[in-house]
Amino acid sequence: MAGNTGDPELPANGQPQDGESVVPPPPARKPLARNFECTNCGASVTVKYPGASLSCVCESCHAVIDVTNEGYKILSTYAEKTEKYKILLPLGSRGTLKGKKWEVIGFMCRSDVASLYYWYEYLLFNPYYGYRFLTEDKGHWNFVTMTKEKPEVKNTAVGFRSCEAAFLEESNQPFVIYNRGKSRVDFVLGEFYWRVRINTEVFATDYINPPRMLSSEEDNSEVVWSIGEYTPREEVEAAFNLQDKLPKSTRMYATKPSLALADWKAIWPCWLLVLVFLFCAQIYFSGQAENVVVSQFTGNFIPNQKFTDVTIPKFTINSKKSGNVHIEVNAPSDNSWFWLGGELVNNDTGDSYPLEFSCEYYHGVDSDGSWSEGSTQSGHTIYGVPGGDYYINFDGESGDFRNNTNQQSYNVTVTRGVPEWMNWFIASFFASMIPIWAWILMRRDEVARWANSDFNPYVSSGSSD
Amino acid sequence: MLTLSCPQCGANVDFKSKASVYAVCSYCKASLVRHDVDLEKIGVMADLQDDMTPLQLGTTGMYEKERFEIIGRMRVAYSDGFWNEWYALLSDGRVGWLAEAQGFYAFCMPFFEGKIPTVDSIRVGKTVDMGSKGIFEVDDFRMVKAIYSEGELPFAAAKGRESTSVDLTGFQNEMATIEYAKESTRVFLGKYVDFDDYQFKNLRHLDGW
Repeated sequence: MAGNTGDPELPANGQPQDGESVVPPPPARKPLARNFECTNCGASVTVKYPGASLSCVCESCHAVIDVTNEGYKILSTYAEKTEKYKILLPLGSRGTLKGKKWEVIGFMCRSDVASLYYWYEYLLFNPYYGYRFLTEDKGHWNFVTMTKEKPEVKNTAVGFRSCEAAFLEESNQPFVIYNRGKSRVDFVLGEFYWRVRINTEVFATDYINPPRMLSSEEDNSEVVWSIGEYTPREEVEAAFNLQDKLPKSTRMYATKPSLALADWKAIWPCWLLVLVFLFCAQIYFSGQAENVVVSQFTGNFIPNQKFTDVTIPKFTINSKKSGNVHIEVNAPSDNSWFWLGGELVNNDTGDSYPLEFSCEYYHGVDSDGSWSEGSTQSGHTIYGVPGGDYYINFDGESGDFRNNTNQQSYNVTVTRGVPEWMNWFIASFFASMIPIWAWILMRRDEVARWANSDFNPYVSSGSSD
Repeated sequence: MLTLSCPQCGANVDFKSKASVYAVCSYCKASLVRHDVDLEKIGVMADLQDDMTPLQLGTTGMYEKERFEIIGRMRVAYSDGFWNEWYALLSDGRVGWLAEAQGFYAFCMPFFEGKIPTVDSIRVGKTVDMGSKGIFEVDDFRMVKAIYSEGELPFAAAKGRESTSVDLTGFQNEMATIEYAKESTRVFLGKYVDFDDYQFKNLRHLDGW
């Protein structure tokens, strides 16, 4: 069927395709191309598709000539005869691109009026499918198709910002504004389906949704919309069977697909899923934790005096499996400190676990208001403690409690099987390393992509000009 | 189908559509106006520079699941170029137009709803109420002149026939055209369709393509 092969169904050797509507084969036609003398310099000029092309450039003097009638009016002349434009796709060459055969019939150098940033455009022709542009910008190629659709332009939220975007009817994917300004035709060769004139300016706006770009070009009489699609250099090389390799570019480009972005888009939902899973697992295991107080002890001390050899009497940890033991000390430190050091000892085996607690709490009021630092609490978790009978030995010491020498009391609470967050934290950290790296790579690409944009979201609006 | 003979050369001149009142003799290129069953010669059509169009009289295609055949063409010129208006007869007897320019193909059919604005009120951006089809917006308008015709047509498309052609766009890929000609004002409504989707048959053979 037509469309699958890229070639429309043609009558084979003039044989009608079906019995109906028999049309006599067309008479042998004169050669299509038309030759005439350049109105400007007299050199011979050939128009290859005279009925389709409206203007044509004299190869000799680069004058642009109106070829719609025998008057051959000069549309514009080109002052400097220059060879500075390197034409990568020769005029007249044909190639199969995006499934269709195209002939290169025109070449233009265009530039942004304000920045003098320039790029090249090759006009492609196929009598069945019309015209396309293949643009080349510093090693990056876009295949551009004109559209009759008028995209909707409106402000929309993209990420965390609001910006102008254009929308096609096919989807709600925003094409985000990238550049806007006047662009100009600097140089032309070949033939064109409109009356091309050097130095004519159009008001152009580019919107991107990589690998595609939506562009509008506006002059006094009309607005033309087109859809560009990033085309890898290798695809262009293969299409036109080029002997010389096309110039490479390793840099990022407005419409160049970012592998890092694709990776990031694939990774972040998985990442989110893993984090949610880990968190749910954590909540579940926390709920399953024994979390029983096995000993509570209250002791007395006098500030600024050492005390030694305190023993918390024997207590029993029932569970056979080993698990954690959390010991928490509470002392009424008030702009002072309280310290305990000792050990948790297994009564049966003599195994001991060193302990140290420091409850320092300071507070006050200064010119910034009230402040505080430290805490009257200090906790310590010991892991892998088997069941059995245990006791605790410790010494204590404290600072000056604002000359308060009254006896104070402190509490020690021993809890078996407290909910554990460390494993969750470590698992989440490792699960996040690759996603965070992917994000960094993605962001590096996107920052580079937007570096040439006047609407760069990665610079503050104040410095974008 | 009505077959008459050319008053200039005697060759058969076919009228496949009852709506056709004009034809160009395929042998002697006489432009003929039909008065019921009489043909009056009003001129001779000069040859046309090959415009690389892939369509021709007899090309068939599909539009909205209806088969059509191209039975006539008028090529028009305006200040910035040319386009072809191909006159198409659908298999159910209706007629439509296939406008072809620079690889764009819009098929449209006569449309009778809504109030047609006067030609003097037309400007780019003006909205026009197309009845059940909603509001359309004027994209551009231009003075056009017929420079060539062939086959059969529903009006006398002698070389030099002038009209004002207004293009409008609606929702999706819908489009409309208003043609202000001396003898009448007509509205057409249709849409742009990709070349491949017409499933054309009997296309012109283009050398080298």
